[in-house]
Amino acid sequence: MVGPTASLSPLVRADGSASYQCPSTGSNILGSVNAPVELPGRRDALKPEDATVEVFVKPGTAPASVGERYVEGIIRGVVGRLILGRERGYQRRGVVITLAIVGGENVSRGDSYLTLLPALLHTALLALLSASVPLSMTFSATVLSVDAAGKITREPSAEDAAAAKSLHVLAFSSKGHLLLNESQGAFDFDTWERVRERASAICHGTSVGEDGDVAMVESADGQPLEGTIRETVEDQVHRDYSWKIDAA
Amino acid sequence: MSSPLILLPGDEIPSEYLPSSSSAPLRLGPGLRLLSQPPSSKPTSSTPSHVLTATQAGIFTTDAKKNAVSILSSPNRRYIPVVNDLVIAQVHHSSPDYFHCMVTPQAPHVVLGQLAFEGATKKTRPMLKQGDLVYARVLSVGLGAGAEVELTCVNPATGKAEPGGLGHLTGGMVFDISNGMAVRLMRASSASGQQQQEDGVAGLVVLDELGKKLEKVGGFEIAVGRNGKVWVDCSNGGDVAVKATVAIGRCLTTIDQHDLVPADQKKLVSRILREMKIEV
Repeated sequence: MVGPTASLSPLVRADGSASYQCPSTGSNILGSVNAPVELPGRRDALKPEDATVEVFVKPGTAPASVGERYVEGIIRGVVGRLILGRERGYQRRGVVITLAIVGGENVSRGDSYLTLLPALLHTALLALLSASVPLSMTFSATVLSVDAAGKITREPSAEDAAAAKSLHVLAFSSKGHLLLNESQGAFDFDTWERVRERASAICHGTSVGEDGDVAMVESADGQPLEGTIRETVEDQVHRDYSWKIDAA
Repeated sequence: MSSPLILLPGDEIPSEYLPSSSSAPLRLGPGLRLLSQPPSSKPTSSTPSHVLTATQAGIFTTDAKKNAVSILSSPNRRYIPVVNDLVIAQVHHSSPDYFHCMVTPQAPHVVLGQLAFEGATKKTRPMLKQGDLVYARVLSVGLGAGAEVELTCVNPATGKAEPGGLGHLTGGMVFDISNGMAVRLMRASSASGQQQQEDGVAGLVVLDELGKKLEKVGGFEIAVGRNGKVWVDCSNGGDVAVKATVAIGRCLTTIDQHDLVPADQKKLVSRILREMKIEV
């Protein structure tokens, strides 16, 4: 299984940016974060002690419409809880996250956005990290499809997702909490429980076996997603501070 | 420190990395917060009673002298004024009380008092025109939306231009560099002369090297602004003054763009001086 690849700060003029490719779903996302910025209009009265988070999702070939509004709402819900909007310099200011879908399958009107959602979430997180926006924790997300036979596929391609009985997107925080659960299709509790276990293994790399042993599933699922995110950030820090790290 | 400790938001700082002196309170710099309590309810003397958590991604650094800890996060961000930063500002227009200056192109203008110069009175005050450059200190940043940032070229307590060199920058030329490079240059230029290290301060030997090579043409002046600007002047240089100024600027911007290591910096300086036909 080929894991996703990402790079930080590809854009020069944005405060923070990230590009993210997921080979199995074929998605390719470019994200930028500008923070803290002065927002047009007066929103002070609503939340005078907090930052306003705005998320924009731009499809590659079509103007943004209802589907994008829906997924923007989900992403804002997740990252809005992580951003420490009361830090100095962020109150009454805005954190503007723009995510452009630059490659991969197009989501046409009425299609499910769930296959793209983990890639969008990861891009938003990496761009926030690159912009040094204060966050309380990080997270990792994955999408799983369950077909009619009950087989779970990780990060399905567009055809697999269309043929699946149910689709699930789960995000786990770096502390192991379940942050997001979006599902569509018909499924029962047992299926969801299996999906959750598999997703937790994909994100954190460990699954607890029946005898209570912690089994490493690196062989089946490649590197856990959390490790990928950490490595991407560490690479960028090493590049930025090579003069300091080499000297020490 | 063989391998640096790189943290992501939500990571807890291992207590062995924290400075051990307990006399002074620990000062938390940017990127660190007290976000949670340890799980055990009764803190004992051996375990600390608090958990420090990173809120930004970056390298964990400690300053033993100040008993401070902070996170060095990504260095090349947009410049946001902080009190006491030294910046290079460009006068945009003037009003009866203030010069309105540009610090970064994307931010609103900042104000610089007409009398905030060394020895300025109502009768004798600097007549700055549009486009003039000033080296100034950030006096205050306002709170909230639409707040004005105020600069000063004088220490209000003493009436002197402290540290030296604040005020109108005449002649010379300004080059754009990244914000991270500006911070490194400031550390390198303030520490040079005091300690001669093999690798220079902050991994920069370019200023020492240029200083040695350009001694014959009369040396040069340099002012670094935290807003990613560096002003260079070789007014003593005579015929080669302009060439030397441009050569210094090219050295600094090339090193910034390509992240050159000290050995390559020395090579670059000699190559550029040779290309520009400045005999040393």
